[in-house]
Amino acid sequence: MYLNPIVKKDVKVQARSMKICWGVFAYELILALVFFLAMSIIQGESRYSTSNVYSAMVWLYPVLAVTQLIILGLVVPVRTASAISGEKERQTFDIMMTTGMSPFSVIMGKVMTAIVQGMFFVVASMPVMALSFIIGGMSWAYLFLFLGIAFLVSLFAASIGILCSSLCKKSISAVIMSYVFYLLFFLGTAVPLIIYWIVVANLEYSLGTVPQFVESYGANIYLFTLLNPAVYLAEFFAGIMAGRSVVSSMVSSMGTQNKGPIVLLTTGYWWLIFATILFVGVSFLFLWIASKRINPIKGQRRKGGRR
Amino acid sequence: MGACMDMGKRGCDGMLQINHLYKSYGKFQAVSNLTLHIPKGDLFGFVGPNGAGKTTTIRMVCGLMLPNSGDIFINGIDAMAHQKEIKKQIGYVPDFFGVYDNLKVREYMDFYGSMYRMNSREIQRISDDLLELVNLSDKKEVFVDTLSRGMKQRLCVARALIHNPALLVLDEPNSGLDPRARVEMKELLQNLRSMGKTIVISSHILSELSEMCNSIGIMNHGSLVAAGRIEDVMEGVFGNNQLVITLDEGRETAIRIVNEYTKVEVDSVGEHEIKLSHNMTKTEIAQMVGAMIAGGVVVTGFHKQEGDLETLFMRVTGDGQ
Repeated sequence: MYLNPIVKKDVKVQARSMKICWGVFAYELILALVFFLAMSIIQGESRYSTSNVYSAMVWLYPVLAVTQLIILGLVVPVRTASAISGEKERQTFDIMMTTGMSPFSVIMGKVMTAIVQGMFFVVASMPVMALSFIIGGMSWAYLFLFLGIAFLVSLFAASIGILCSSLCKKSISAVIMSYVFYLLFFLGTAVPLIIYWIVVANLEYSLGTVPQFVESYGANIYLFTLLNPAVYLAEFFAGIMAGRSVVSSMVSSMGTQNKGPIVLLTTGYWWLIFATILFVGVSFLFLWIASKRINPIKGQRRKGGRR
Repeated sequence: MGACMDMGKRGCDGMLQINHLYKSYGKFQAVSNLTLHIPKGDLFGFVGPNGAGKTTTIRMVCGLMLPNSGDIFINGIDAMAHQKEIKKQIGYVPDFFGVYDNLKVREYMDFYGSMYRMNSREIQRISDDLLELVNLSDKKEVFVDTLSRGMKQRLCVARALIHNPALLVLDEPNSGLDPRARVEMKELLQNLRSMGKTIVISSHILSELSEMCNSIGIMNHGSLVAAGRIEDVMEGVFGNNQLVITLDEGRETAIRIVNEYTKVEVDSVGEHEIKLSHNMTKTEIAQMVGAMIAGGVVVTGFHKQEGDLETLFMRVTGDGQ
């Protein structure tokens, strides 16, 4: 089986450095602290309620899972943001571009390295995560679902990082730009919804009613949040823990007639399925743009004609 | 047949054919109407002052930069149209390069070999041979970042050869090397040439280029001002008909005798030396010198004026010349 040489080399090189040991240590330490904090809260709550402390421990799952996803989301783009700019700073990039590897393979190699390392951390934390399954009595399938979500978060975060790395000359600029991209996804995708709420509130205040079109199709404004990572994770964990859809509840609370695509997407798992496809699609779009950016030939336009 | 400035069209039997290449950075014309042909098996020295356009040309040849216009053919393949194929034909050693920390020499070769989709057995076999060629066989298990600059440079050459390219391009490979490392690099390149590799090397160290290259190209202000076999370029610039006569006494007599010959004229006269340009046969030269001796001139010697690469370089890159 052909293994991307960049993945093979980067994983080997980084495994030899002390950074990886300290990384795993810090990751496990954070998880342990969150675990003990969550445990103390659960035990504290159980003193004043009749609920079983063991069944309450299933809540360790979303707490630990979200903690890990946040860490992955913060760490993975840092790794990929310095991937291309790091090669340039190290003066190994030109040699790499004259080898038989295509720019897309180079990009994929860097992204896969970051994902492998991220998943290495996640797998290393499995014993802690497993406590919520053993004691809390959750289905093991959710553990694998979490691995899937962790992979998706890593891919998405890595693609943002590598895109920024291809856009910036310096690693630090690429890291900062990656977090700006994050803000765009977290806050930018919610902006249309906020504008919608303000407009509807103003219409109701000034006209006393909302136009028919807005009444029927207004809830579709939620479609923008398909690319909001916070909404995605909320939908995922609410589905697992409470068997309900966060988006569906929010749409229902609008009290509109709800026509259009939002009707389908708030049914069953369609929101999650469609959002997953979108996140994967956006990730590959970023990877494709990054590969075009680093291609020394295709990225440039021939100026002037033959003289 | 050596390199030349304008020899043939597309598909001619050469390793590197560049036709009317232009490259500008904004208003600065880095390369202007560069046409060059390098036959297979040549060790071609690319010289020129800083900013002449050598590195820009090399980067375009290696597919690291797109020209504004012009064509590059490597081993008969259009470099602009077939980038993937061209990468297999070229081994590139840049002027400045870094290495990866925590990677051993063997793994370094393995990494670059696998980038050309070579299988591990093939990589091991070829890298063993190459490491022996560059005299690094005993360093296989050593971390690359601990090697000396010269060793890293030789390793980089071995790395550039891992996929057996037809053309090896080296940009200032001797910069920053100590004298021993330079000699080792020179020997390595000569070895590679004897193995049939076509090598393009840019350098500022003209004396070394003149020793190892069989053809040169001199760039100035983005243009190629001279190219071809070193002897041909020398002859083209200096001419093949300069004679230096050294003498102890009878300078005036010697000049008088020279002036009696119509095929010769005096270029310069020193205290013990007369430089001549001539169009005479060897016999005629011998007769003229004999006449000087017979006339009482104490001739201590005479020899053909030999040009060197430094003088050639200064002459062709001099302002207004």
